[in-house]
Amino acid sequence: MTFQFATLLSVMPALSQAALVNLRLAAIIVVLAVLGGTLLTILRAMKIRPVNAAIAVLISFIRGTPLLIQIFLFFYVAPAFGLDLGPETAGVTAIALNSSIFITEMMRGGLQSIPPGQIEAGCALALPRRVIWRSIVLPQLFRRILPALVGEITIVVKGTALLSVITVVDVLRTAQQIASSTYRPFETLVGAALCFLAINLAVMAAGRLIESRGADARS
Amino acid sequence: MTFDPAILADYWPLFLQGAWLTVRICAVAFIVGYSIGILVALAALVPSRIVRALVGAYVGLLRSVPFIIILFLVYYGLPFAGIRFPAYVTGTLALALFASAYYAEIVRGAILSLPRGQFESARTVGMSPLQAMRHVVFPQILRGLVPPSVNMTLTMIKESAVLSSITVAELTYQSLVVQGNTFAPFEAFAAVTLIYWAITVVVARLAAILEARTGTAEREDVERNALAASFLTLEAPKRR
Repeated sequence: MTFQFATLLSVMPALSQAALVNLRLAAIIVVLAVLGGTLLTILRAMKIRPVNAAIAVLISFIRGTPLLIQIFLFFYVAPAFGLDLGPETAGVTAIALNSSIFITEMMRGGLQSIPPGQIEAGCALALPRRVIWRSIVLPQLFRRILPALVGEITIVVKGTALLSVITVVDVLRTAQQIASSTYRPFETLVGAALCFLAINLAVMAAGRLIESRGADARS
Repeated sequence: MTFDPAILADYWPLFLQGAWLTVRICAVAFIVGYSIGILVALAALVPSRIVRALVGAYVGLLRSVPFIIILFLVYYGLPFAGIRFPAYVTGTLALALFASAYYAEIVRGAILSLPRGQFESARTVGMSPLQAMRHVVFPQILRGLVPPSVNMTLTMIKESAVLSSITVAELTYQSLVVQGNTFAPFEAFAAVTLIYWAITVVVARLAAILEARTGTAEREDVERNALAASFLTLEAPKRR
């Protein structure tokens, strides 16, 4: 069989339309995950023993089990506990929780490189804890974890493809629907791959842009 | 919502078979993927623009496209090219390809982190290329190699769950089968979740032993005073 470029071209409009679904869901997830990851980090820094022990178990669980299974837990198991979220919300919740955990772990590493003298200076000026976090720690922390955060965002974008398994009509599911009527699965899937490639290349380019801006601001 | 242990009593052989297939698939994908990764990393060091561009495209494509799409591309692409494999072979191959891109980046990064001229110096003092690699290069890149490789392998094990979508009868597939037969999602998914957790915890433990043996463990515990530590460390101080 030969690769039909005409088929690839003909499916692209429908697929790029569906890619907007992935883009929208990924954007919501990233916002939730950055917020969640930051809040978890601040909570963990308070060092309340039982809370940190519970978070440690959650971290081990989220990092030790497949994202697909976590999505299944929110989609299939949560309704059995009276929490019927629907495919989109269940998927977004699962990926956002997963990503928050990876972001707080990233932040744990980033905190190591912040000079302790700055905290001592902040405390000496009697700055409230909230202000030390907001004005001293977090701005530097975000700058430091930015490369890793960009990587995590691309992982989130890729993760949205798994939502097709729980009936969210995203790029992949649209591709499968098209392929089932045209019998050209390979070309259609190449189209779907191109959509993700485009989104992720844009994410990485934006990351590099922000990084170079940050470098300029400091020099 | 109640937990019905009878379902696990009835279906444990399925879970066991699924777990065993997952372990075998990941072991093969690790070996194949790492071998391809090393070759790709070495190719990236070749002073030819064309070769490096090809390597860049290979790594970049595999890393920016979701694994589930790579899997379907291989699944539909092989018959497209006239090659037919059973689903589990296709799945293992796709998993190995996916992981190879990440392993290649890890190996390349570790080699590049080596100060220039180490290999040449070893050659100048009369070592054979193999001896230079074995005694000078390898011990030095090990520290940069082991921790990220372990991480990637754990990621690969978790990604193998996606193989269920091309009907490979691994762990996740079996959980969907059990769920379909019993309409008891909680029992089915709780069981596989715990099995995956056990597999990754065991692999991580074994890797930690390996890292301790080879002296490649990452050290993180910087001494800090209590004031700074109340912001900059997230674990409660260890009791002595």
